Amino acid sequence: MEYISCQQLSDFFKGAADIFTEKKQELCEMDAKMGDGDLGLTMCKGFGELPLLIAENQEPDDIGKTLRKAGMKMASLVPSTMGTLMASGLMEGGKAVAEKAAMGPQELSDFLTGFASGIQKRGKCQPGDRTILDAMQPAAEKAMQACAEGGTLADIIKAAVQGASEGVEATKQMVPKFGKAAVFAAKAQGVPDQGAVAGQYLLEGLARYLA
Amino acid sequence: MKKLINAPENYTDDMLRGIYAAHPDLVKYASGDLRCYCTRYKKAGKVAIITGGGTGHLPLFLGYVGENLLDGCGVGGVFQSPASEQIYNVAKEVESGAGVLFLYGNYTGDIMNFDMAAEMLDMEDIPAKSIVGADDVLSSSNIQARRGVAGIFFLYKCAGAKAAAMGTLEEVLAAAQKAKDNTRTVGFALTPCVIPELGHSNFLLAENEMAFGMGIHGEPGVWNGPVKTADELAKESLDEILADMPIAEGEEVCVLINGLGATSQEELYILSGSVKQLLDEKGIRIYRTFVGEYATSMEMAGASISICRMADDEMKEWIDLPVHTPFYTQV
Repeated sequence: MEYISCQQLSDFFKGAADIFTEKKQELCEMDAKMGDGDLGLTMCKGFGELPLLIAENQEPDDIGKTLRKAGMKMASLVPSTMGTLMASGLMEGGKAVAEKAAMGPQELSDFLTGFASGIQKRGKCQPGDRTILDAMQPAAEKAMQACAEGGTLADIIKAAVQGASEGVEATKQMVPKFGKAAVFAAKAQGVPDQGAVAGQYLLEGLARYLA
Repeated sequence: MKKLINAPENYTDDMLRGIYAAHPDLVKYASGDLRCYCTRYKKAGKVAIITGGGTGHLPLFLGYVGENLLDGCGVGGVFQSPASEQIYNVAKEVESGAGVLFLYGNYTGDIMNFDMAAEMLDMEDIPAKSIVGADDVLSSSNIQARRGVAGIFFLYKCAGAKAAAMGTLEEVLAAAQKAKDNTRTVGFALTPCVIPELGHSNFLLAENEMAFGMGIHGEPGVWNGPVKTADELAKESLDEILADMPIAEGEEVCVLINGLGATSQEELYILSGSVKQLLDEKGIRIYRTFVGEYATSMEMAGASISICRMADDEMKEWIDLPVHTPFYTQV
């Protein structure tokens, strides 16, 4: 596949809907140890609806606007911390591909970079704070690198998954600064951040469409 | 779980339907969404003050929407933030030409959603400023990172009074800031509460055990141990508050003795008496005492003590201004 058209965008995100349905219980259990215990539910609900939200908010030949509008709807649907962060990622990612009719390698890399910066802006977090950013930031960097090396869409998402997975691994040694996780800082040692894991699953879900 | 409900998933919306049914003369909802809670009395040219947060803390947050207090509230599910779109819709409904002040508690989810709502208003050139209550002394040594609890009542009072006096957005924000700078709270829980959709409590306390410094969502406190006396708890709480915010002999303060939901008024007054005696010994004068349920955690037993230092006479005038809402009246 050389590019994803605006019409195909909904199908592209279908993989994310599927993976969060499969991982719902696992994410809830991880979150119960460090937070509210509703991460799996939130991700399943938000990304489960996303393909439909994208289809309903289709802007002809503008993937950027489509993603921004769908992201705003998703934010209303799942206003929890991680729901809002994911929606902010979509919106900022959408901004990075404004007025583009389709998503090619450059646009996909720009989208992922925008996604990470949206999370960083909304969450007021920095790399190393043990958040989802620690998965999405290295993912975006790897994607940019693969793009610069002339990679295909499939190469880029593969590189992003690789970056996210390394980032998740690194969170095991990070000290949480935000939310309830910060209260349980001592318990966090050696355990990956559940938000970062959710970020990795998102990318793995997206990779399914391009495989 | 033993609760008077219909279905756990309808807890918030059923509660809201009941509130609108009981007080149709004072409040309404915007955009066809029960969770967009607004005053019926909009005053042209007045700064609109909007709060919001999760359900489970009545009269916080929506209970302070009314005369001389707040104008609207975004209502979230139990212990969850309202959505940015809901906050935005409330703002659009109650804003009347002088801008919007977002005044709410210092929690990650709420901050993100209020910030998003502010950005949405900004796109329409409606000025919005934000300030968060962060009065829970024991939640962090870093003052910026503290959770917002019952002390937000004083921020509501001061900002509400300044807005009622037709102050500008900057002046209303400054009034809230003055209250924030001078307010500290310490709380403690005796029994937990049950989140309806979970069906069980999110922490456990043994029969004679209490949690000192616990947050209003069950966030862990600084110690768990045998239940202490009201006098001991008052002393330990005041020691923490005064170590954090020194108050000199002869200064005046307001005291708020807040019940967390299942603690009797009798017990709250016992605690109030203990606080009064300790303040007397230190030569700190009480300007006004508020006793009752101001910020609860559903049926959690326990209380919090808030001290608001009266920095000047203007603050006293704000505190004295009568207010009226479906949940709270001060004459």
